[in-house]
Amino acid sequence: MITERQEELAALHAFGLLEGQERIDFEVELMRDPELRTLTLHLVEAAALTSLSAPQIDLPSGLKDRVLAAAAQSAPTNVVAFPLLKFAPWAVAAGLALAATWLTSQNFSLRTENANLRTERQLAETAYKMAQNQLAERSLLAENMISDLGNKLRKSEDLARLKVTALASLAGNTKEAQVIAVWDPERQAGLLTMDKLPATNDGEDYQIWVVDPAYKNPVNGGVFHVSSDGRIALPFKPDQPVAQAAAFAISLEKKGGVPKAEGPIVLLGK
Amino acid sequence: MSEPTPSLPPSGDDQGLEQARLLAAMAKGDRSALGRLYDSIARPLYSLAYRIVNDSAEAQDIVQDVFLQIWQKAASYDTTRGSVFGWAATLTRNRAIDRVRMRKRRSELLAESAPDLQPAPLEGDLDSGASLWLQEKARAVRTALGQLAPDQKTAIELAFFSGLTQLQIAAKLNEPLGTIKARIRRGLLKLKETLPTRL
Repeated sequence: MITERQEELAALHAFGLLEGQERIDFEVELMRDPELRTLTLHLVEAAALTSLSAPQIDLPSGLKDRVLAAAAQSAPTNVVAFPLLKFAPWAVAAGLALAATWLTSQNFSLRTENANLRTERQLAETAYKMAQNQLAERSLLAENMISDLGNKLRKSEDLARLKVTALASLAGNTKEAQVIAVWDPERQAGLLTMDKLPATNDGEDYQIWVVDPAYKNPVNGGVFHVSSDGRIALPFKPDQPVAQAAAFAISLEKKGGVPKAEGPIVLLGK
Repeated sequence: MSEPTPSLPPSGDDQGLEQARLLAAMAKGDRSALGRLYDSIARPLYSLAYRIVNDSAEAQDIVQDVFLQIWQKAASYDTTRGSVFGWAATLTRNRAIDRVRMRKRRSELLAESAPDLQPAPLEGDLDSGASLWLQEKARAVRTALGQLAPDQKTAIELAFFSGLTQLQIAAKLNEPLGTIKARIRRGLLKLKETLPTRL
């Protein structure tokens, strides 16, 4: 069913009076509507016949010769071209369809490849982070190990610096005594550990001596008293600087000690 | 009450078929077919071109261009899309209007051709040299145009010959655009009903 509006547009189209979007819209409508197409075709034909209402004028002489001469210099389009032209839109459509299919497959392929690459990148990033964490852990562990080793080294250096001497009994009453002297030359201090050292009488004290070749007499390291169990750990500090602790001795002296050894040397160690 | 509807002589369809055959021969390179087609339709085409551009030299150029185009595109002519004459007339009109617009002489030409918008005498200017077929066609068209209301006929002739836009036609006739559109629609539909599809 053709509306008045369509008739009006068809009539205007027949005279070439449609312009712009109105013309485009109508031509689209023409392609979709065969009935409208038929009407428009008839209106175009009727409009063309209007030309016969123009006053008829004799043809100028020579025009026919000019037309034929122009045609002689220009060959008509090949007849074969007609069916080809007729199928050209289909060929273009087929080409577009093939191109669209190819582009779609390429698109899918590229998307898949892109997704794979993205996954690989994520895996690589994860592996990289794990490696970083492991490295950080190992680094921390190594630092701790280095720190521990450093501490141990310092302790071993400390130990190496220390002089450890076991004192031997020189008196009959101290045969079972076990005395060890540890001397730290840097700190100028020492430690005596004693076990089974006979207890001293009330008026007596043991006195520690450090033998240093720099001095004519042993250097006084202090006095100590031993109770009944004979076990004692005693720090001592000489009253003069000791350059080289060549030996350690313990004598039995009167209470309070003496500046220079007078009593018997009961223990000695180098 | 109404005038008898003009009918085409039997020769109309024959002429249309003959012109289609000439085009088929031209598509195969037959220049003599081009000469025969020229003899058949060149005069109304030249008259149409002259009617629009109002210049003999330009009208001749237009006709030459149109026949050259028909010669080159003969193979693409589709008989289901209209008559050979309709195709040629449309080509001629479009080229003539393009020339008018290109020269920007529209207003001048309108002024010059204004008297031509008056109804032409039904048979007055058909000279004895015109073919019988052409004389009959022209008579049928003018009769059909004469059956239109004067305002419809004027609108149709302006739409076909002037190259004016819808708005310009409305302005020239001092009528609303909708009225002009309606006149063109009704006038052309009546022409279609009155004229046979193939002259």
